[in-house]
Amino acid sequence: MSDQITYPDVVNFAVPFFIAAILIELTWIVLKRRGGRYETRDALTSLIMGAGNVASGIALGFIAWGFFLVLWELTPLDLGTSAWVVLLCFVLDDLRYYWVHRFGHRIRWVWASHVNHHSSQHYNLTTALRQTWTGTFTFMMVVRAPLILLGFHPAMVLFCGGLNLIYQFWIHTEAIGKTPRWFEAVMNTPSHHRVHHGRNARYLDANYAGVFIVWDKLFGTFVPEQEHEKPDYGLVHNLGTFNPLRVAFHEWLSIFRDVTRPGLSLRDRLGYAFAPPGWSHDGSRGMTPEIKACHLARHPEDRDTPGFE
Amino acid sequence: MPLSILLPMVVIGVAGIAVLLHVMGLSQPRRFADADEARAAWDREFPEIPANAATLCHDGSAALIATDEGPGVVWPMGADSTARRIDHARIERTTDGLILRLPDFTAPRIRLRLDGDETTEWLDRLEQSA
Ligand SMILES: [Zn+2]
Ligand SMILES: [Zn+2]
Repeated sequence: MSDQITYPDVVNFAVPFFIAAILIELTWIVLKRRGGRYETRDALTSLIMGAGNVASGIALGFIAWGFFLVLWELTPLDLGTSAWVVLLCFVLDDLRYYWVHRFGHRIRWVWASHVNHHSSQHYNLTTALRQTWTGTFTFMMVVRAPLILLGFHPAMVLFCGGLNLIYQFWIHTEAIGKTPRWFEAVMNTPSHHRVHHGRNARYLDANYAGVFIVWDKLFGTFVPEQEHEKPDYGLVHNLGTFNPLRVAFHEWLSIFRDVTRPGLSLRDRLGYAFAPPGWSHDGSRGMTPEIKACHLARHPEDRDTPGFE
Repeated sequence: MPLSILLPMVVIGVAGIAVLLHVMGLSQPRRFADADEARAAWDREFPEIPANAATLCHDGSAALIATDEGPGVVWPMGADSTARRIDHARIERTTDGLILRLPDFTAPRIRLRLDGDETTEWLDRLEQSA
């Protein structure tokens, strides 16, 4: 019976809402002359990345879906479809999102897919739609396996994942400063997620949350937005192209080039694929701890402040 | 959602927003006001390689950076900027400046609009290090 349950493909249904919200944000920025910036080519690239993400979901979605159905066949558990189960599924799937996102920044193989979400130097609602085309190849669908084995139906899990993404849309804005204290304490907000998009040494590898910021507080990755330090959006090494194909695939190519360099040990090759971004066999590049240390060498006054503790 | 609805909605939405932004004048590329601004743009990308000097081109659309580790260029990325060290570049002289081709998948081609004297000077300095 519950094998036939269907949930709406929420992300697709949200498209008209996304377009309307972008137009509203843009109007707000133009009228108020504050609250963010838009630039044509940047926004166009973000939107094309978003459209390509939907297309890749249609083309490759069957791989993850097939994997989930196999797990669903295997598990003897079925929690049913009551509202409480859906709610619990949403919360646990958000925990799943936190870890997938954290892996997305700490494992180069997963970063190769996620990097494009961070490749814009802008931070507006179009940035939210700058999504990966290559998520399937990260195999991060395995992180959802426990949920399905616990008896949450695959369709419900995907439904909750879709709602999670839709929630994250509205937080990609500079038009909203801070929300009420209780909301900032529990939920992911524009302020918390601006930090996540910051390339400032202070803000690197912080605030991985999807919906609930409590995961970052629990696992020690929370950094609050500092009044005196505005996030500088983009990558540690910003791209020099708006070409969506280059945006989508550059880090995969870069992994390939590093892994196939002559004269490396197997361990080095694995490091280039799976160590944190910035890892190198000879230490010639910088990972987050080195970037933070370099910053502190030049700005010792920042020692023991948020992001440098 | 059927593709027959989703596809036109996405195409019209994306194209509509892009045209709207362009008509609103939001396609203006960044211009560096002075050499200090160009240096700051360099420092933002390469804090570990200090800029010794920045030479801004006549219209402020790019700057040649001198460092202890060789030359670099900063140039606009839309309303923002990016920077690269210039080594192993293929440099081509055009009627209105230079085209640098880098073995870098994320910045394969940098087009520099320079006047005649600038073109000669920049080419000289870039080739010295090549
Ligand atoms: Zn991220
Ligand atoms: Zn984001």
